Amino acid sequence: MNSISMLFLLSGSLIALSILASRLSSLFGLPLLIIFLALGMLAGEDGILGIQFNNYSLAFVIGHLALAMILLDGGMRTRLKTFRVGFKPALSMATIGVFITSGVVGLIAMWVFNLTLVEGLLIGAIVGSTDAAAVFSMLRGQGININERVSATLEIESGTNDPMAIFLTLMFIQLLISDDNTVLGNVEFFLQQFGFGIAIGLAGGWLVKRLLSRLELMPGLYSLLALALGFSIFGLASWAGGSGFLAIYLCGLMIGSENTRQLQHILPVYDGLAWLSQIGLFLVLGMLVTPTELMKYALPSLVIALALIFVARPLAVLLSVKPFFKFRWREIGFISWVGLRGAVPIVLAIFPVIGGVDNASMYFNVAFAVVLLSLLIQGGTLLPMAKWMRVQVPKRASPRQRGSLGILPERDYEMFVYKVENHRLDEQPIRLLRFPSGAMISALFRNDEMIHPKGSTRLKLGDILCVISREEDLDNLNELFNGDNQLNQKQLAFFGSFVLNGDAMLVDVAKAYGLTISPQEVGVSLGEFIARRVGGHPVVGDDIDWHGIHWVVNEVDGDTVKKVGMRLY
Amino acid sequence: MLIAALLVNADSISFHDNATSKKKVLENLSQKLASNTNATTAEKIFQVLLERERLGSTGLGKGVAIPHARVPGLTHTIAAMLTLETPVPFESVDNQPIDIAFGLLVPEEDTDHHLQYLSRLVTLFRDPDICQRLRKATSAEQIFELLLSIDEV
Repeated sequence: MNSISMLFLLSGSLIALSILASRLSSLFGLPLLIIFLALGMLAGEDGILGIQFNNYSLAFVIGHLALAMILLDGGMRTRLKTFRVGFKPALSMATIGVFITSGVVGLIAMWVFNLTLVEGLLIGAIVGSTDAAAVFSMLRGQGININERVSATLEIESGTNDPMAIFLTLMFIQLLISDDNTVLGNVEFFLQQFGFGIAIGLAGGWLVKRLLSRLELMPGLYSLLALALGFSIFGLASWAGGSGFLAIYLCGLMIGSENTRQLQHILPVYDGLAWLSQIGLFLVLGMLVTPTELMKYALPSLVIALALIFVARPLAVLLSVKPFFKFRWREIGFISWVGLRGAVPIVLAIFPVIGGVDNASMYFNVAFAVVLLSLLIQGGTLLPMAKWMRVQVPKRASPRQRGSLGILPERDYEMFVYKVENHRLDEQPIRLLRFPSGAMISALFRNDEMIHPKGSTRLKLGDILCVISREEDLDNLNELFNGDNQLNQKQLAFFGSFVLNGDAMLVDVAKAYGLTISPQEVGVSLGEFIARRVGGHPVVGDDIDWHGIHWVVNEVDGDTVKKVGMRLY
Repeated sequence: MLIAALLVNADSISFHDNATSKKKVLENLSQKLASNTNATTAEKIFQVLLERERLGSTGLGKGVAIPHARVPGLTHTIAAMLTLETPVPFESVDNQPIDIAFGLLVPEEDTDHHLQYLSRLVTLFRDPDICQRLRKATSAEQIFELLLSIDEV
């Protein structure tokens, strides 16, 4: 067989196998990325296929391409709304936090491997950033709904902390291979990375968004254009001395900031591309490593991984978040635990190999082992940890499918597909439903047959309804279709028995239940009182204990608490 | 805590009440509650219940509401119950109209019991099984019997 047919056969079947193996993830609760890495290792030189792959430069290029794609997709899916609660703490963790993590791990690595300070710190820098791909796929893939403050912070952190780790890695490599280094030069380099990265990313992203919304193209081309321009922005930013990774993440964020018709064409394509990037990247990295060599570093790497998970990360989160932002201890605990490492450290560990640092293979193998252990230990226990730390929020009903109609350029109508699961709706004539005034039922499916819905048509359990409406009606529709199932029972229990209005005055609430309040709380509303207690940026699911009652935030609009549930004991 | 004991007897239950609005439900409930005490009047009870509703509906969802308040001068906790002939919108959490309303009044100083009673009532009326049996009952006496039997468990 010639090399082209070999390449097609191998890459095709490896990717296919990875996708099929992803089923194992849900069966055994194994993190997906581990499965891809393991398949890559099995295909590699010590594995079944015995493929010799030692081309670090090629892996380096593939790594950059894949990470850029993953960050672009991640940026687009980060809702700008979540920046309200997540941005500042995430930024603090992405800068100071990475610094602390790298420093602590570096010192421990120095001691474990008997290295010089700079060499030790290089190891710390390489494993310093959490991985966007790992965090995004874990949080979204496990079907768990984490409270917004925690999920937003983690997602934004993972999208923005790579530049810091890259900067530190490059700086320490510089220190190792050349003699002329000034503090000033390093500061300048740091400012350039962030400054140009942010400026070019935001400006470029804004331009791309404008261009996309004005341009009439065939639907399939929007995603390609956004991808091409995103990559150009990555290139431009790094050419100018900025961080390309930061730039492309911010570019994605700008493009995704408005729910436009074009975005509906782009997102499904990127879903696939991001998966392909993850699978491809982890397969390549898995093939690149030589397991027998990896084993040589197993024990010291374990020490470093444990130090990272149990000392460095918690310390970094604690010091960079707790003093400045109001997070509860269990939220800090969960964020500390979800410091998942992924592809970024492994890609960063290729830098020393390419830069010609002494003993480069050590960095690569240690980084690889640390990532593997982090995915196994932290990734594998995500679900129990979320339960233990009580950071989950029950899911509310949502459409089974939605998609914009593509008729209006802005504020387009969408079709929402709901299944009737709410027992209250059984046998209800359609005209009696409390539908939002702008919504219309366009079709009704019963037993795989389409029925023309009339006002007198009575709904039955299991009916599928297609509703045409706008996004602003979504909350009302969700409420209407909220299933009368176990989930709903759980929600009721979680969100409390009686629901009070956020604008009710604290004095009146205190009077109704015989609670005492201090004089300065007299002019305050219940919503303001709770918002203050949680640090000014309340999220759904926040709860405070006050006079033996649990007060749970049920609904927010920006930073205003609209509804508060009373959970009695 | 015994629910049926709070109600004293079947007279505190208005079976298939004809109220058609939230206001009317509270009024009829106030009437029933007032007949259990000399310490206050139906009008005053209606006022405190209404005040409580302004903070947020006492509709629990799934067709049940538990209007409640603390009342000055009351000597012991009193309760009354309505089942409605036609469901009435009550601004509940789930936007569903209610057909069961359980009213609870506690003495002003009895704050701890207030929360305990409420907690117990919420648990009871969250049970879909019990609600179904309450809805199937054909008279106030039957409802009272049913609550008695629940108390005994």
